[in-house]
Amino acid sequence: MNGFLTYVPIILMGVWNTLILSTAGFLLATLLGLLMAFTEVFSPKPISIVTDWVARVLRGIPLLLALLLVFYGLPRLGIALPNIASAIIGITIVDSGYQAQLFRGAIEGVGGRQLEAAYSIGLSKWGAFRHVIAPQAFRAALPGWLNEFTIVLKDSSIAYAIGVTELFTQAVHVAQVVLDYLQPLILVSIVYFSICYPLSIISERARRRLLAMGVAAV
Amino acid sequence: MGAVLEVSNLWKFFGKSPVLRGVSFSVGEGEAKVILGPSGAGKSTLLRCINLLIKPDRGSIILDGEEVTAPGVNAARVRSKIGFVFQHFNLFNHLTALENVMLGLIKVKGMNKDDAFKVARESLLSVGISEDLWNKYPAQLSGGQQQRVAIARAIAMSPRLVLFDEPTSALDPELIWEVLGVMEKLSREGMTMIVVTHELGFAMKVADEVVFMDSGAVVERGSPEEVILRPRNERVRRFMERMQYVYSLK
Repeated sequence: MNGFLTYVPIILMGVWNTLILSTAGFLLATLLGLLMAFTEVFSPKPISIVTDWVARVLRGIPLLLALLLVFYGLPRLGIALPNIASAIIGITIVDSGYQAQLFRGAIEGVGGRQLEAAYSIGLSKWGAFRHVIAPQAFRAALPGWLNEFTIVLKDSSIAYAIGVTELFTQAVHVAQVVLDYLQPLILVSIVYFSICYPLSIISERARRRLLAMGVAAV
Repeated sequence: MGAVLEVSNLWKFFGKSPVLRGVSFSVGEGEAKVILGPSGAGKSTLLRCINLLIKPDRGSIILDGEEVTAPGVNAARVRSKIGFVFQHFNLFNHLTALENVMLGLIKVKGMNKDDAFKVARESLLSVGISEDLWNKYPAQLSGGQQQRVAIARAIAMSPRLVLFDEPTSALDPELIWEVLGVMEKLSREGMTMIVVTHELGFAMKVADEVVFMDSGAVVERGSPEEVILRPRNERVRRFMERMQYVYSLK
């Protein structure tokens, strides 16, 4: 052992930044994604079309590009942000486009029949949304939403490019010191896996439970 | 005796083509009206106009003396007085049978949970849904059970009338009778109803008046015996001959 074990705690310290980065970026993207999905489904056509188009553009931006744009590009406009904040914003921007699509699919998937039934017992538009559409849409979106988080968690390693000291960055730095990439990278693989795997199990269980309830997950 | 529902000269266009062409009829207290006719005759559209899921283009609908087609009428309030039973049941997937019936009582009628439960229990029992099924989700029920829960959901709101849109068309043949049985019982207990269906046996037994629609217009109306067994209109006669072939065992 080339002294790798002494560096293990240093690598694991990166877990905190990875979690902060991915959780903050992901939850902000959820807020933005919900906002865009509601706008797409419930506003007049022109606004809905523009929002759909915006979400499409956001989905088209590579995360690496978004990070570099925010961290190195924005200072030219007088907005200089610390690298971790830049990474969170970059993740939020790109992932909100994906989550908008996820939530929109979930809302539309509930379907006209459920809406008609909600109206038929005398619920108002808001009541139908609140008591019939939203509860079903959120259930349907849950498995895909959890999966989305595992994707964001792994993609947050791209923050390496702007020097955020998260899990992957720490591993690379240690690798350069101990002159061995294999052990540090296997260690971070195990960390990513042990966070993502339980989440994907939960997601799969939710999907199956929903199917038994007759709700098709997105 | 005033009519519960009066439909006069109702027109509806989808694009340029008329789906309803001047339909008029009235439904009296406790009456069971059965609407027959081929697919695309406008029967479903008519029912959807009555509970304001579709806005008619011309004509008027008067429910209990109130013109509900007038501008500014609160559609949700009108719908809470009209029950609707759908071809595909349309139970709320995320709620149990019991919760399906209670939702409108709590959120629309503003009842507390205990009162809503009592009303829901009565409704479910009256359509033959026993207690062991109350906590099941729609996907865990048979089609016939789902449709009876849907009827319970409609009648729990104590509506002025109930609209049935081909309530047995999506059911296995063996389950049809249990739904028709509930509907017959409901009618005998005095519920006012309009039923769009192809079940001629039900129409013969239960209908006070049968209305035959074709291409968006009423082409014949009368007692079930007249319209089903001795139709005067050529189109109706052809329809009934075909139905006889499908349903008669002779």
